[in-house]
Amino acid sequence: MRSDVFSVLMDPAVLFFLLGLMAAAVRSNLEMPAQISKFISLYLLMSIGIKGGVALSVSGIQPEILTGLGIALLMAFLVPAYTYPLLRLRTDGYNAAAVAATYGSVSAVTFIAVGQFLDNQGVAHGGHMAVALVIMEVPAVIMAVLLAAMTRSIDEKRKGRDSASHNTHSEFSIKGILHESFTDGSIVLLMGSLFIGFLVGVDGYQTIKPFTGDLFKGLLGFFLLEMGMMVGRRFREMQVIDPFFLGFAFVIPVVNACFTLALSHWAGLSDGDAVMLATLAASASYIVVPAVVRAAIPEANPGIYFTMALALTFPFNVIIGIPLYFHLLNYF
Amino acid sequence: MRSLEPKKLLTLITAHAIKGIVIEKLKSRQVGGYTMVDATGVGAFGVQSGALDSDSNVLIYVILSEARLNVLLADFDELMNRSYRVKVIVTDVMILPRKKPSVTSAG
Repeated sequence: MRSDVFSVLMDPAVLFFLLGLMAAAVRSNLEMPAQISKFISLYLLMSIGIKGGVALSVSGIQPEILTGLGIALLMAFLVPAYTYPLLRLRTDGYNAAAVAATYGSVSAVTFIAVGQFLDNQGVAHGGHMAVALVIMEVPAVIMAVLLAAMTRSIDEKRKGRDSASHNTHSEFSIKGILHESFTDGSIVLLMGSLFIGFLVGVDGYQTIKPFTGDLFKGLLGFFLLEMGMMVGRRFREMQVIDPFFLGFAFVIPVVNACFTLALSHWAGLSDGDAVMLATLAASASYIVVPAVVRAAIPEANPGIYFTMALALTFPFNVIIGIPLYFHLLNYF
Repeated sequence: MRSLEPKKLLTLITAHAIKGIVIEKLKSRQVGGYTMVDATGVGAFGVQSGALDSDSNVLIYVILSEARLNVLLADFDELMNRSYRVKVIVTDVMILPRKKPSVTSAG
């Protein structure tokens, strides 16, 4: 069952990702229309949501599911809590809060990639992991906004200004953040699809399986081609990055994954669920969180948090991280 | 025939993620009409490829009088003081207004 982890590189989806990187590196004019890319990302979310819901309808709500979701929620709070003070050693409160939020949250595409990897390895994983994906989106953002607000208040006091007399707040309250996060299109589609899959079950799923099942791998490959090009272009345009952030982008995911694997092993989760959770904990958001952070923490530099998540951590996880976390199961 | 009228064209370039904030500012000043276009580009913070909403810009065009423009400029100045990244461009334009209904009918 635990076959050679380097077989991940023989997965067509990963190879298309590498092709995209190469196309960007050689400055090819290969381009995917933006609307196509957006359509495919919505399709992928719909597919994993509905498949997850169908799997849940078969397995039912087991205690192991609640344990897994509990670990997911714990990591969503823990990661920003420990990375923020670490980041403050190197940067200001706003950028530290933004990066902490990014790494405390998750990447849906990485989630899709690890699901595919486990399917290729013949390792089962729970449909409820899609719920874990959703619940891990929000806590980090809330924590980051609170930390940024604290930084803003300290800054104003340092400037000798009363923050109440100056309009120093961002445009987002906690309620606003929750609203933005939970009503984000990707979350609505994912949760809605999960619910629909749960409702219709295996029999109902057969009617749309040709669309959400048979086409999935091909469209995933096409999407990862575009992701590879995006990563490659951003990498090319990236200015010299502080070695601290470079190290952070590669080391922290592995730390988070190892901790989550240990926790999952202790809690008695299945191998598949453990790797899914570890990969979620190791991932960084570059869709939902950057959008919220741009509005809620405008002082932060997207060239740091967005570039780290997209150009560094995402490709690391897809190519090296996922097979590494799977291999680390041997040690737990 | 209608006569051309001088107006101000306000062009705003901002990230897709904060277009809601910008539009709320327009609405708060009773600016009901604007045109929005998706945009890509490159800036100080890297490429905005347009492939993801978090990686996209928008262009918002508003045509208005100088008096209303000055009020909006103050609002955007305040947003920029709060570190929101918005490019604000003002251009003088001439537009053909909507024709007012004629008072007398043809005999």
